[in-house]
Amino acid sequence: MTLLDVQSLNVHFPTRQGAVHASRDISFRLEAGEVLGLVGETGSGKSVIGQAIIRLLPSGTRIAGRIIFSGQDLTALSESAIHALRGSSISLIPQNPSGALNPVMASGRQIAEFFESQGRSRTAARVRARELLAAVGLVPVDRIEREYPHQLSGGMRQRLATSIALGGDPGLIIADEPTKGLDYRARETTARLLREIHTTGQAALLLITHDLDLAERICDRIAVLYAGEIVEIGTAAQVFSAPRHPYTRALIRAIPKNGLAPLPGQSPSLTALPKGCAFADRCSCGTDRCGLEHPLLTQEGPDGGVRCHHPFSA
Amino acid sequence: MTGLSKSYGHGAIFSGVSFEVDRGATLGLFGQSGSGKSTLGRCVMRLERPTTGTVTMLGADLFRLGPKKLRSLRPSFQMVFQHPEVSLNPRRTLAESVAELLMVHRGLSLDGALDELQPLIARVGLRDEHLDRYPHQLSGGEVQRAILARIFSVRPRLIVADEPTSMLDVSVQAQVLRLMQELQRETGVSYVFISHDPDVMRIMCDTILWFDGGAGTMYERDGFVDRMEDVYASVAREHRGVGQTG
Repeated sequence: MTLLDVQSLNVHFPTRQGAVHASRDISFRLEAGEVLGLVGETGSGKSVIGQAIIRLLPSGTRIAGRIIFSGQDLTALSESAIHALRGSSISLIPQNPSGALNPVMASGRQIAEFFESQGRSRTAARVRARELLAAVGLVPVDRIEREYPHQLSGGMRQRLATSIALGGDPGLIIADEPTKGLDYRARETTARLLREIHTTGQAALLLITHDLDLAERICDRIAVLYAGEIVEIGTAAQVFSAPRHPYTRALIRAIPKNGLAPLPGQSPSLTALPKGCAFADRCSCGTDRCGLEHPLLTQEGPDGGVRCHHPFSA
Repeated sequence: MTGLSKSYGHGAIFSGVSFEVDRGATLGLFGQSGSGKSTLGRCVMRLERPTTGTVTMLGADLFRLGPKKLRSLRPSFQMVFQHPEVSLNPRRTLAESVAELLMVHRGLSLDGALDELQPLIARVGLRDEHLDRYPHQLSGGEVQRAILARIFSVRPRLIVADEPTSMLDVSVQAQVLRLMQELQRETGVSYVFISHDPDVMRIMCDTILWFDGGAGTMYERDGFVDRMEDVYASVAREHRGVGQTG
């Protein structure tokens, strides 16, 4: 069953340098219980998509297209209706758990607060909070529920933020750069935690990340973004073992464990996008056509595609 | 570095750390957040005074040098910081920042310094059009390249690089790390390389000092990889049973 259907999403931010076209014609579907990775580098527009879904973009942002979640178009909902969805139907695992947690509130209270806001009694909220702490491995619960965020390690704070996101039993969890800035141990903990959510719960997960290792480990499907567009989408196995877009291939080869092969140049400015393929000036297999004609995302199979005039063969 | 310790307030961050860095070699400092690897890097650069211990650079005890001697040695040891966006003076053009060390240490004019730096600026992959820009007009990768040009202008013997690419994109990280390796081969500079990315450590470093309290533990590459496997196994054990009760 399709839980989330994003159709031709375009997002423009007004800036003094002109409108930044941060998301360009983004379309993808997410099935219930599925894990989809939105993978890309700085300026690829990946975080904007997550924020557009949960409607956290700054006022003045122009959003076009449709975001159908459980049959209703989120872009057409009132502010109060979207507020009711946040935390209960769609929740967010934030990029920086330390910044998202209240530093003067004990762990148990941080979780219970949400349930109390939903009308549960203080006792019932605490019981549910303790269940969630145990569910994300924050044990012994008796001790952890009384501890404050500064008393927890980076990995434990990430687990706490995750337990809060799981609290409302949401259908969709958006994890925005959950490993950014974490050290190796906290990063490994987070990777395992996200996989646990996937294997034990019913929630679909939209993983927004620059961390390709993480995406490969936990995603069913991957969409690779470049300069605001999806340039390739497919199963994680296909994208990592037989990438079709030259950018995807270069990105995978640039990962330290895959050989740290440098990709020359940098992403184009979103205020001055080229006429043709956005990747053309960094591409090793480009032709004249790539500079002139903007490639379209092909449809291959039910959910695969590549945006390239000269893709590698499947 | 011999018997280095650093304490703040009530507790020791590390104690009794000793290591040597050979010419042209790279030593990695690895550890979890807060383990003291950056503090140690800053002690090596004489940006921070260790509680005990000595740092000997090219035969001289760094913390006993007089101001004049220190000034003449300063060009030999340089640092690359984690956050490129705040590493350069925001009110100076890239040309001014890149030329500054040559102007200070050799008394050259801006134009004189830039003339001499032409090959190095091209070597790190910057173009003339970059030189008139201010740091906020450049990407993180371009700023790190400019910092490398600035530092290499005075022929350093040792560079402490504190997470130099952790704020950069994957593809740009590969560019900067490969450039650092090439510059090392060309100049024989030594690196103390600080990172919490085990894959980057393995590629960049000859030996790795793992900060785990006290004096740390020294590894060659193979031993490091083995210990990393142990860490992942222990995280996996902690996770057994997670998600069963929710």
